[in-house]
Amino acid sequence: MHHTDHQRSAGAVPRNPEHRNPRHTDTFIESESVVSTASPVKTTAVAAQGVWKAYGSGEAQVVALRDVSVEFASGAFTAIMGPSGSGKSTLMHCLAGLDTTDRGTVIIGDSTVTGLGDKALTKLRRDKIGFIFQQFNLLPTLTAEENITLPAAIAGTKADPDWVKRIIHTLDLTDRLSHKPTELSGGQQQRVACARALATRPDVVFADEPTGNLDTRSGTEVLNFLRTSVDDFGQTIVMVTHDPTAAAYADRVVFLADGQIVEDMADPTADSVIDKMKHFEELVAAAQEEAA
Amino acid sequence: MTRLRPQSLLRTTVKGMAARKARLALTGLAVVLGAAFIAAALVLTASIRSTVDDLNGAAYAGVDLLVRPVEPETYGERLVREGVSAETLAAVEASDGVERVSTTVSWMINALDDNGKVVGGFAPTSAVNWGDESTDRELREGRAPETDGEVAVSAKFATDSGLGLGDTVTAYSMTSDKTEYAIVGVYGYPGGRDSLSGGTELAFTTEEAQYLVFDGRDVYSMVAVHAADGTSGAELLDALAPAVGAEAETVTIEDYSAEMSAETAEITGVIGNFLLGFGLVAVFVSVFLIANTFSIVIAGRLKEIAMMRAIGAGRGQIVRSVLAEALILGALAALAGTIVGVAGGAGLTSAVAGRLLDSAQVSVAIPPSAVIAALAVGIGVTVVSALVPALRASKTPPVEAMRAAVKADKPITGVTVTGAVVTAAGAAAMALGLTGSLGDRADLAGVGIGAGLVFVGVTLLTAWLSRPLVAALGALWSWSFAGKLGRRNAARNPRRTAGTAAALMIGVTLVTATATLLTSVKASLTDYFQDNVKAELFVTGPLTAAVSPSFDPAVMDGIREVEGVDHAVEMYYDLADIDGTEQYVNATTDFAGIVGLFGGTVAEGDDGALADDEIAVNAWAAEDLGVGMGDTVTATFSRGTEAREFTVAAILDDNENTDGWYVAATYTDEFYTTKPTMALIDVADGGDVAAVTAAVDGLLANEPEVSVQNHEDFVAEMTVFYDFAIIAIQLLLGLAMVVAVIGVVNTLVLSVLERTRELGMLRAIGMTRGQTTRMVTVESVTIALFGAILGIAVGVALGWAIQSALVETGIEVFAVPTALIAGYLGAAVLVGLLAAIAPAVRASKVDILAAIAYE
Repeated sequence: MHHTDHQRSAGAVPRNPEHRNPRHTDTFIESESVVSTASPVKTTAVAAQGVWKAYGSGEAQVVALRDVSVEFASGAFTAIMGPSGSGKSTLMHCLAGLDTTDRGTVIIGDSTVTGLGDKALTKLRRDKIGFIFQQFNLLPTLTAEENITLPAAIAGTKADPDWVKRIIHTLDLTDRLSHKPTELSGGQQQRVACARALATRPDVVFADEPTGNLDTRSGTEVLNFLRTSVDDFGQTIVMVTHDPTAAAYADRVVFLADGQIVEDMADPTADSVIDKMKHFEELVAAAQEEAA
Repeated sequence: MTRLRPQSLLRTTVKGMAARKARLALTGLAVVLGAAFIAAALVLTASIRSTVDDLNGAAYAGVDLLVRPVEPETYGERLVREGVSAETLAAVEASDGVERVSTTVSWMINALDDNGKVVGGFAPTSAVNWGDESTDRELREGRAPETDGEVAVSAKFATDSGLGLGDTVTAYSMTSDKTEYAIVGVYGYPGGRDSLSGGTELAFTTEEAQYLVFDGRDVYSMVAVHAADGTSGAELLDALAPAVGAEAETVTIEDYSAEMSAETAEITGVIGNFLLGFGLVAVFVSVFLIANTFSIVIAGRLKEIAMMRAIGAGRGQIVRSVLAEALILGALAALAGTIVGVAGGAGLTSAVAGRLLDSAQVSVAIPPSAVIAALAVGIGVTVVSALVPALRASKTPPVEAMRAAVKADKPITGVTVTGAVVTAAGAAAMALGLTGSLGDRADLAGVGIGAGLVFVGVTLLTAWLSRPLVAALGALWSWSFAGKLGRRNAARNPRRTAGTAAALMIGVTLVTATATLLTSVKASLTDYFQDNVKAELFVTGPLTAAVSPSFDPAVMDGIREVEGVDHAVEMYYDLADIDGTEQYVNATTDFAGIVGLFGGTVAEGDDGALADDEIAVNAWAAEDLGVGMGDTVTATFSRGTEAREFTVAAILDDNENTDGWYVAATYTDEFYTTKPTMALIDVADGGDVAAVTAAVDGLLANEPEVSVQNHEDFVAEMTVFYDFAIIAIQLLLGLAMVVAVIGVVNTLVLSVLERTRELGMLRAIGMTRGQTTRMVTVESVTIALFGAILGIAVGVALGWAIQSALVETGIEVFAVPTALIAGYLGAAVLVGLLAAIAPAVRASKVDILAAIAYE
């Protein structure tokens, strides 16, 4: 899939109304080859360069990220894995502008995230990033449809109706739009959250354990959608998970341990991920023995 | 299953409370306010009384007895007391056991300041004879008055009038003409005070004081008697009886002091009751606040309570643990309130004593009743308010502990049905009363009780009403997305929103109802005047003045000459004794003119000029006294020394403007106010009212007590008391607003806490801090506006109902105080904005990572 180049160019040029034009959307979907000739094959949607992050101070200091450098390609579905405390959530938070880095730089599209103030960060999250949380985090006072268009409403703009319609259709939410979150199942709620994340066509969607609170069937639906959004819409997705089955849906898995990237695996399968995890556990156990 | 020991439960309660300090402190604040007002009221009343007792004890030092005229029983206070005669004085002086006597001649007069305006408004100016013993006067400058043209003035008079030693002051009484006096001395009172009870005083020679107060007769207001050594006051009391006779009476100085204290207590009692009223309103409003807080706290602790139930805590224990929390909170708040109240009461006493009594020496009394009442009310209201939430908490099934957090709201059906029933019952009672189906007296009672029921009913209905009303209010913010979210948050928990808004609603209802009624009274009067009074202009003065405003009748000649004046007539007024009853008597040189200009009509007889011995009366008064045309009545005027006979020469149709009795202006010297108190001016058709007003105004330049007024001014002046009432009521609203702010803050802080995750998500997906702040502010303002609008609606409705019930008394017009209502809405917005500050800041600073973190 190579719509990534277009994403890149969309980020590079100043946003104009035409970008949200439905016809333009169609062009964007269908004319990938044209765009891909204009620039190199894989461009970078999100990048971290030499990122350090520590919590606390003195004796109690915990270093969550140690000199992490990683790039996430546009139009790719990347999973971040690692045991508890490996720093995978911290990495995602730093990448998404939710947390600050101690050292190093984070870049999203053409924007340097590092060093931005709260206002600029907020605007960046609003305009360029989509979020999917483990706990769905829908607003109970809003209907499903209102939740989906929430980011646009916050921005004071109107979401592209054709685009939103298309996502809603893909997620099979058409007849659930007027329901309040409390009237929806967990899977439906998470699908609404997915639609919300994609509605503004962000440069990147960060998903934090999106299937953690779902049964297997609902989880599969959500993962299938994420895959589809990458394949069909050229969406960039970075997903934090500890579930090898979920990771298998990604194009690539980045393994984190003790605040460092220890493995970068392309085209993962559930089995290869499980093997790798076992391998890490052995390594960790060996290291612990050595330390003892 | 073993039961938890109560001690451990109490420890849990205290620990839990420590964790919720801020919220409980806010809730407690309402109780603190209520208790403080109650304590302050009682301390103030007691302290003022003891302060006044001290002051009175100092007055008439060394005097054993007082001889004073007997107060006639049938007359009100406006009657001039006939003084103690010179003969009685001589007889008392000559009695056995009397060492010496001194005299007091004192009454209210008018004195003009350096701008020619009457000094003082509510606090009177008195004339007194220098040397009277009612208090010690300490000369600060100059000397005592020695001749009739001299005067010494109190320091406060000097300050208020801008006049001092060597200046000339113009003074006059109701009987005397304006006279100029040379100020030869300025004096103060013991303790360095500038005034007694805030009034101003002028001290003349005894003869001059008699000229001002008693129209020159040789009589005295009071005679102070010093007993000879070895004679007690009680012995002297009997010994003086023959000398005093029937016209006067003798009192011991102790009894006199007690009377004075009782009089002051009446005044301070009003202030005390006012504060007490505030306290009760604060307490009433607190009920909602406390119940709301406890419901909220319990909702947050549902799991904990269920867990305790699961490990063996009984229902009673749960109730007791909640009530223990209420008891501790109530006790702490009531204690704080009592301390604040006692301190405030003492401070207020100093302020009141300084202002009203000009006394620097304050004796603060803290009656045990103040402490007991404040503590009891504070603790009681907290515990009672927590009872319903406590009972509800005890019904938590143990299994709740195992379930995931369920935030299902309790249905509001029960309270809504109750509210509907109570409202309907109230409306029915009001309807029956208004249609007159309950019989004379019961009608008004029906409306009153109905109004009360509707008030309570609607308060119960607030939760149900909050949904549609809050939704409607949302239209105001629909232009902003943050506003939309805020409005929806306000509608999220109707029970909580309603409980919060109720605090404001109660206050606004009370003030709106009263203001509506008073505005209607004013409008009715204005309309009535417009419709019935032919005269365009009045010459009159403020009714609140200590001395009835009056003017020199000579100015009437000038007024009649003014171009455009068709007819002008002056009126004298007195409260007289007619056939043994107290009656309003008007005297006029132009009976026909008065009747015509006031829009009255003569039923029997004619409206020709009244002869000296003729009297006219309105039909109702004639019937009341059982007199008819040609009958004879006897009348004694305020200053009259003999009864005079009049023949009824005309009977007027009943008309409020021409109520009372009319005589010729022959005996006005015997009236309380011997000069005219009012004039009516009819401007000729096509005449220039403004020009006439200006011309008359010029003619009144030397009449500082009166001014020329049109209907509007006149009605405004007649209803000036209502203005004070309205202001007093606004203060009540102010208090309700303070409590309302606390309530809204409480609810919002809690909402923000509950919605931390939501706020974190919103911030994560790009909501700015500003938008977050706006969202919370809109929620706050919406709740406050909801309370205010409900209060205004109920208040106007109740005001209308009471006005309708009072139509027969002449309150025929229903008027809505639109400016005030706009003010209330503004105040509600202010409440909302103020209450939102802290919660909004808190919401905007939510730590996104912590908020969205799971586990």
